[in-house]
Amino acid sequence: MRRVLAFFWISSCLCAGFVFARRAAADGIAERARTLHFSSIVLDTHDDTTQRFFSKDFDIGKRNPDGHVDIPRLREGGMNAIFFSIWIDGRIMGPPAVQKALDQIDAVHENVRKYSKDLMFCRTAAEVREAHKQGKIAALIGVEGGHMIGNDIRVLRMFGNLGVRYMTLSHFYNDEWADSSTDKPVHNGLTDFGKDIVREMNRQGIMVDISHVSDKTFYDALEVSKAPLIASHSSCRALCNHVRDMSDDMIKVLAAKGGVIQINYEKSFIDQAYKDASEKQSGGVVAIFDQLKKACGDDQECFGRKMGEQEKQATAEGKLPHVSWERIVDHIDHVVKLVGPDHVGLGSDFDGATMPEGMEDCSKLPKITEALMRKGYGDDDIRKILGGNTLRLMEQVERISKELQARL
Amino acid sequence: MLRPMLATSLLFSAGLFVAATVTADDISARARKLHFSSIVVDTHDDTTQRFLDGKFDLGARSATGSIDIPRMREGNLGAIFFSIWLPSKITGPEAVHRTLVQIDAVSEQVRRHPKDLILATTAAEIREAQKQGKIAALMGVEGGHMINSDLGVLRSYAALGVRYMTLTHSGNDEWADSSTDKAVHNGLTEFGKDVVREMNRLGVMVDISHVSDKTFYDALEVSKAPLIASHSSCRAICDAPRNMTDQMMKDLAAKGGVVQINYHVGFLSQEFRDAEKANPELNKAIGAEVQKRCGDNEGCQLIEGDRITREYVERGKLPRVDFIKIIEHIDHAVKVAGIEHVGLGSDFDGANMPYGMEDATKLPHITEALLQKGYSEDGVKKILGENTLRVMTEVERVSRESNSQLRK
Repeated sequence: MRRVLAFFWISSCLCAGFVFARRAAADGIAERARTLHFSSIVLDTHDDTTQRFFSKDFDIGKRNPDGHVDIPRLREGGMNAIFFSIWIDGRIMGPPAVQKALDQIDAVHENVRKYSKDLMFCRTAAEVREAHKQGKIAALIGVEGGHMIGNDIRVLRMFGNLGVRYMTLSHFYNDEWADSSTDKPVHNGLTDFGKDIVREMNRQGIMVDISHVSDKTFYDALEVSKAPLIASHSSCRALCNHVRDMSDDMIKVLAAKGGVIQINYEKSFIDQAYKDASEKQSGGVVAIFDQLKKACGDDQECFGRKMGEQEKQATAEGKLPHVSWERIVDHIDHVVKLVGPDHVGLGSDFDGATMPEGMEDCSKLPKITEALMRKGYGDDDIRKILGGNTLRLMEQVERISKELQARL
Repeated sequence: MLRPMLATSLLFSAGLFVAATVTADDISARARKLHFSSIVVDTHDDTTQRFLDGKFDLGARSATGSIDIPRMREGNLGAIFFSIWLPSKITGPEAVHRTLVQIDAVSEQVRRHPKDLILATTAAEIREAQKQGKIAALMGVEGGHMINSDLGVLRSYAALGVRYMTLTHSGNDEWADSSTDKAVHNGLTEFGKDVVREMNRLGVMVDISHVSDKTFYDALEVSKAPLIASHSSCRAICDAPRNMTDQMMKDLAAKGGVVQINYHVGFLSQEFRDAEKANPELNKAIGAEVQKRCGDNEGCQLIEGDRITREYVERGKLPRVDFIKIIEHIDHAVKVAGIEHVGLGSDFDGANMPYGMEDATKLPHITEALLQKGYSEDGVKKILGENTLRVMTEVERVSRESNSQLRK
């Protein structure tokens, strides 16, 4: 009996596979999607891979059995522009934060130097396009948290000179001048100094990133900034009510000023059921980070490994629901329906978050292109979502920076 | 009655004589022509400290100190290394943060005066600045303690434009002995040697001013590129540990290096040095007066220190040192090391200037005095800047070579 059942199960799988393959061949979408994907600039605005550079066991030039990003898998997934995130715990402040951030910026530059055949350090949209022409992966830098400038606008300028192209105004905790979405507000958004920081970012051509910040901080930044904003890795609150995500109203006003929301693939940010279960299970993302921090200290490899293990075990035990990668596409589609195709992009949070099933690493990215195509998206719109929107935003930020500098 | 009268008239005629030799109008046409057609490079100026209070404007002629744009123009100082300096006692992340602040301060001065200044990092850029009629601004970090024993920080400074680093300041750092501290490392530690090698790769000149003799010889052995002494004079004339022995200068020259003569009276004149040593109370009194006028403002301390020292000279408590002492040191170094191996490293705004070299406007007197001594125009040009440009070019070549070897 069991054998028969097994036979039926296998044959039905085979049939499904066959049907799927036939359908793909018949409509040619899979093929067309691959062609489109691998001829596009696929730009991801948020990857925490930088943390791994400090591990002896990690080599970005080789295929790694764990994590989400390395050069072979970037190539396989057609991801050819990546913002390496500079991040330290938001409770580290002052000169130690500055020094640690500097070390991470250096680590990105050193890895680019080490793999100069594959990677090219880029500061502008034009440089990203040039890297693409040369068949190289564009490496960019974003600083994830305003605490890393040591409350000093001069350090921000030096980060800019070192190639930093966006700064997230806060991380999980409030910094000296901006409230975070996951902390108790103390500044009522941005302080006056925080507003000066935003103005200086405009002048320096550093994108203002409003992921992680409180809603009030977002609206303050939107009002002050002369350049459009990005949310480097945030999803839609309408589909998953998490403070780290953006409400429809926020997305609308962000878009009205030319900004782009880069969809985060973290399961807790894209799936309501998962988010609810995760909060019940362990108290949510900040609490999970704290527990892992306690267990691993500064060992980021341990951090990543334990996060994966815990999550896998809880899912296997049924404590956490399965989340499909297709939720990412739902979030993209939601934004497009809300504000059109010019204001959404990709901000995976690879190597810093728990990935949904089917998006285990960056090699899976072509699935997004195919899914969008199957949804009926035009090639041009898909290219915008894959990277074109972010490049447009970068160009605008660069133009405004030039204008502001000429004025002074 | 006679005696004082005689003394007065002697002083008076001495004053006349000095006035006759140092008035700007009195520079011979030949010297003027030579001086103003040369690239005059000064490898050490502490003016950066004055930028930090946010009030000092490099663009306006200042009644105090030695350096501002009008006076650099008047003395045709064409390329200036702004020193990035913190006292040796400031270490760790705080030193890193404060170093960034000073690099920013220099960058901001350049930004504010785009018609007069241009940030340069190579010999070719200095020549280009000269062509455009602009003053080339460069940066040197004065003290290895500022990298906090971190090659990543060194690389970041290099990326921000720093083109030399003095291996120590007045105190030993974590990896190199200073000439004015008790030796603990026996010169350079193994890590110190790695620092030198990384400087070679980055194209950051290795500066051996301030370091102990053993550190100098260690650096000379390890470095693949020629060294500079950014602001040191000759020990044979003035026996200060901060100065170089004839043998050191010969060895430095044999590897293509350049000693940049420091104008500080305590390094130029044995008589001044002896007087200081004989009256330790004087130094204490000067120190106390400086503290009273400036508190912890280091920019103020350096300027006032020079002013108060001169007051003591005027009162006859310290010997008067004439600028011709600079020429004596240049001439000695030329005789010992050769005319290819001597340059200018004034220590303006950071030391006690001799009479006749109060500020950058007096620089043509050096050209005049060297011509009077019978130096060829070509030889004078070398001393004024060409020797330093040659070292920079060589350092750049070594950097390119070692980077291309790494890529193979």
